[in-house]
Amino acid sequence: MPLPTLMVVPTGIGCSVGGFAGDALPSARLLAAASGCLITHPNVMNGAALYWSDARIHYVEGSALDRFASGDLALRPVRGQRVGVLLDAGIESDLRLRHLQVVDGCRATLGLELGPVVTTDAPLGVSLRQGESGASWGSLERPDALLRAGEQLRAAGATAIAVVARFPEDPESEALAAYRGGSGVDVLAGAEAVISHLLCAHLGIPCAHAPALSPLELNPDLDPRAAGEELGTTFLPCVLVGLSRAPDLVPLSSAAPGHGFPGSVGPLLTADQIGAVVVPSGVLGGEAVLACAERGVPVIAVQNPSVLAVTAEALGLIEAGATVIEASSYAEAAGFVLALREGISPAALQRPLPQLR
Amino acid sequence: MASALRLESVALTLLREPGPLLPQIRTALAAEGEPLRWAITAAEITAQGPQLRIEAMVIRR
Repeated sequence: MPLPTLMVVPTGIGCSVGGFAGDALPSARLLAAASGCLITHPNVMNGAALYWSDARIHYVEGSALDRFASGDLALRPVRGQRVGVLLDAGIESDLRLRHLQVVDGCRATLGLELGPVVTTDAPLGVSLRQGESGASWGSLERPDALLRAGEQLRAAGATAIAVVARFPEDPESEALAAYRGGSGVDVLAGAEAVISHLLCAHLGIPCAHAPALSPLELNPDLDPRAAGEELGTTFLPCVLVGLSRAPDLVPLSSAAPGHGFPGSVGPLLTADQIGAVVVPSGVLGGEAVLACAERGVPVIAVQNPSVLAVTAEALGLIEAGATVIEASSYAEAAGFVLALREGISPAALQRPLPQLR
Repeated sequence: MASALRLESVALTLLREPGPLLPQIRTALAAEGEPLRWAITAAEITAQGPQLRIEAMVIRR
């Protein structure tokens, strides 16, 4: 029997695994095999031109993942989504054409149901910044234009939305050089999350984002973890593939947990089925993880360094009754997930094994 | 047309009280606006208990 498992690798904080171009994807595949059912978010799965589709992996936008973990909505697996494409009016014509050709390519070569395409009625005006912690944040000047375009797409029949916003560029920046060299933080990530959170929360359908950027000069020292973003001219293919099989988001006020729906390919997934959450050990202070920890779901805290050091100890989680299992790698975390799935106590796998008193 | 919807970045400090943490964070953030994205970005043990730094983006309408 599968053990529905949540995998969270927060975006824009420089995680050693998962802080680059979908480089947590091999770990996600392993956790999916160990659990039989993995719920994770676009930052884990998106490798720009690279992607992987696995029926055991549920691709859920970050804010929807938080609401799922909090018990506010359920996930309904589907055979496919009709993915509408939302383009920022700030994208130049050549770059826009590149994105439209990716959409056509995914229709022709992968057989995805894509369209229509809607362009915002004003440039979104994306801006980037880093917080005091070093985490990536960002904003947009015209959230209203984003939401209007999303509403148009939903009204036209889109059941999921891929957003492409024009992002500011600074090819000479130290932050970009560090990222391409395998260190530092993805400075685009915070604004990407803001865009997809805003749209997904407003429309209640699966959404994900790809930034539109001009291609970079060839870099012979490119870190392999960042290479997925330099293989093509857009970051869009992974988003289209991910959304094409993303589960529907079902507000729990309108659903009966555990029951199938017409068009679904399985029963609803609900928060009370979550058997484990896997997260970097220094980033336990997010909504999905806290919601799970406070309901007694085992938290597998993986050594995966980032700019944050928000540990179970610093949050007082264990004193508050949470179950936290430390893992030195995602391989070890997958072993713990498999143990939980098989009903084996993770404590029995470790030494010393203290006496009960 | 000016946007009626504004996104604002917020940073706040919270002294963790006993009991579930998530409701404490939600209450603190609600005073700032409608939370869109947030994270605890630092946690420090003090004599009064864990002191948390929260970075967030909120919606103001």
